[in-house]
Amino acid sequence: MLAYAVNRLALACLIVLVAMMILFSLIHLVPGDPASIVLGTRATPELVQAFRDRMGLDQPLAVQLFRFVMRSVQGDLGRDLFTNQPVAEVVWRELPHTFALAGLGLGWSVLLGIPFGCLSAAFRNGWIDRVAGVVAVSAIAVPSFVVAIYTLLIFAVGLRWFPALGAGPEGQPLVQLWHLVLPSFALGLGWVGYICRLVRASMLEVLAENHIRTARAFGLPPRRILFTYALKLAILPTVTLLGTGTGRLLSGAVFIEIVFNRPGVGKLVVEAVNTRNYPIVLGAVLVTTICFVLCTLASDLAAALLDPRVREKL
Amino acid sequence: MSPRLPRRAVLAAPAIIGISAVAPPEAAAQGLKVLKTRSLLDVAVLDPANRISVTDGDVMRAIFAGLVTQKAGDTWGWEKDLAVEIEQSDATHIRFQLRPGVPWTNGFGEVTADDVKFSYERIADPVFKAAYRTDWDFLDHVEVTGPHSGVIVLKRPFVPLWSSTLPTASGQILCRKAVEALDGKKFTLDPPATCGPYKIKKLDPRRSITLERNPLWPGRKPAYDEIQYIQIVDSNAAEIAFQAGEIDFTQVPLSNVPRLRKAAPAGSKLIVTPSLAYWWLGMQSEAGPFADIRVRKAVQYALDVEMILDGTFLGVAERATGFIAPSLLGARKANLIAKPDKAKARALLAEAGLASGFKTNIGVRNSTEFLSAAQIAAASLAEVGITAEVIPFDAGQQKALAGDKNGRWKEMGMMISRFTMQPDPSWATAWFVSSQVGEWNWERFRSPEFDRLHEEAKGELDTAKRAAMYVRMQDMLEESGSYVFLTNGATASLCRNTVKPALSPDGQFQMWAEFAPA
Repeated sequence: MLAYAVNRLALACLIVLVAMMILFSLIHLVPGDPASIVLGTRATPELVQAFRDRMGLDQPLAVQLFRFVMRSVQGDLGRDLFTNQPVAEVVWRELPHTFALAGLGLGWSVLLGIPFGCLSAAFRNGWIDRVAGVVAVSAIAVPSFVVAIYTLLIFAVGLRWFPALGAGPEGQPLVQLWHLVLPSFALGLGWVGYICRLVRASMLEVLAENHIRTARAFGLPPRRILFTYALKLAILPTVTLLGTGTGRLLSGAVFIEIVFNRPGVGKLVVEAVNTRNYPIVLGAVLVTTICFVLCTLASDLAAALLDPRVREKL
Repeated sequence: MSPRLPRRAVLAAPAIIGISAVAPPEAAAQGLKVLKTRSLLDVAVLDPANRISVTDGDVMRAIFAGLVTQKAGDTWGWEKDLAVEIEQSDATHIRFQLRPGVPWTNGFGEVTADDVKFSYERIADPVFKAAYRTDWDFLDHVEVTGPHSGVIVLKRPFVPLWSSTLPTASGQILCRKAVEALDGKKFTLDPPATCGPYKIKKLDPRRSITLERNPLWPGRKPAYDEIQYIQIVDSNAAEIAFQAGEIDFTQVPLSNVPRLRKAAPAGSKLIVTPSLAYWWLGMQSEAGPFADIRVRKAVQYALDVEMILDGTFLGVAERATGFIAPSLLGARKANLIAKPDKAKARALLAEAGLASGFKTNIGVRNSTEFLSAAQIAAASLAEVGITAEVIPFDAGQQKALAGDKNGRWKEMGMMISRFTMQPDPSWATAWFVSSQVGEWNWERFRSPEFDRLHEEAKGELDTAKRAAMYVRMQDMLEESGSYVFLTNGATASLCRNTVKPALSPDGQFQMWAEFAPA
């Protein structure tokens, strides 16, 4: 197990490194002089040169990349072009908002997806299964930003039950939670569908196994069989999916943060791209990539810990 | 007997939690008059010398003061701010007298003529490398003649001083003592001392900035106790926030105007103001078919500009008569080619030996409005046999290609562009002088007469003569065949009926000290 964990960790580091290189190269290979692009029409030649010196843009690309990697390893992601704040500090400030959004979005999907999946499997081909199937596929098919706009129009503009924008004032967790309800629902709804279908499929597989048949033969109540014995096994593929899912939710949070005007890493990246604030783009995307890789790593390790069959294959 | 939880308590608890969660924010609960308005961009730099965007300008206008300030309303102009007297005594000297006893915050004494000297010379100083150095490039020095009086001495006459320097953020005054005490003598978001009608209460970078009344401000008391400037990047999200009652004022995309004209949200009004920006279709005039003026003229006659505007701006934007908007000095009454004439366009193409048409491209910025305008322009040109491929560009790519040393600029045929400008006509002509070829003058228009007129007009004190010069310059641009003026655009805003807004004539700048409850 330890060797497996070390292996996975090394692979994760490699993925992050490659992602850094690709990201850095992409940004710097875009045609046009970044200094002119950032500074616009007003820039005097001296100002452009000062910018180039500060950003090290006169150095060869490989040197710039090496410096970026070395500094990043030490936690220095550069400085915001406009405010001169450390990028790490800026990203760190936004990260909890994105985690809260993705976490609660995942919460919605687990809270609704698993029970619906179990019910679908328990009442296979019945009307509950059919309705849950249609709802799940619809939830997967509708993009999260469409859900976001409609939930906003219905619950914030029409009914005025929830606030329309922002994350709420700092130091007021209840208000902040109130601000999270709609965005997290909009973000998590798609994953309700995925989890529902996945739990249903794996539950059907487990329900057909011998030990479940034996439990039924012994006359155990169906609810106990379903939730105590079958779900424990059927949930394993979902655990793996949740790792990837968390990563996907982190990237999907971009649209939600824009529509609900919530602070977060996604919104930070969009603004930074619009203003050509490349250090922020690089830093924020790097941190998101690391989070994604860590989530996938955690789900792999969790699956190995939970399922002896996975451990045996290592 | 075991304790029992009363049913009413069980029901009340979640209700209390819910109510407390949605309880009104602190300011409203205290009965303060709060104006909530939307900013498109983050407040990034509050130093007048290095400001980044309109958003920074809005905040600076509220927390700082200048000798004069821009007037809100329908026409461009300025009014006295901290100056009790200000006059241009000759072409290069401007005398001013400051209002005495205007205090700086944080105990830095009062605003003096030496602060004026520091603020303007600081921007003009090449060593300081201010982003807005060109605003004060013509400044020789500021002479301090008394604690509250002085003379601005220019190197040469410069008329835009009164429209695009003194009344803007570049004309705002900083506290010498406070700024010189800072590391590097500069700041970004934390001005060490301010003197305007509002002061910063809370700054939440990338979210909002809250201003409160400056109790030390000796001028007219602003109507609102507090201004909350909330950043909402997405325009549609801003409109939703407005409908949900979370903001009182926001700009909206022009494409939403027809819908909002039919049905604006209850209790609100739609304000549409002509903008100063200018959109045009330009043709690269030194290589390929467009090197022949007859081909460029053919495009001028072939393009159906009204069709482009209808399709792109849904009838909201008027056709431009030049780069200079109708609200400014130097605006033309009409275009030289006012209506499309396809027959004349075909005849000109035939004269140029291109009777069967030719293939070219239209470069545009990769956004909906630009792409839409380009597609309609291409359709319009197809009617005379010109096949134009629409190529979306990033702004940086566009500039890089225009200035490419290996001659890649020859690959460019036409381009639809949009520039914004300050309220002085010199801002519209600055990019089309010969020295800008390969920079922003990608049409490669060259005219010694145009260059001379541009320089002379900046120093022309006679308004009528100056206006005639700018009209002539725009005529020259159109006569070159390289330009088709499309529109100056418009700015649309939603405002609650309970608010009386105070905006610049182009609707871009919000003057919060003048906003009032309706």
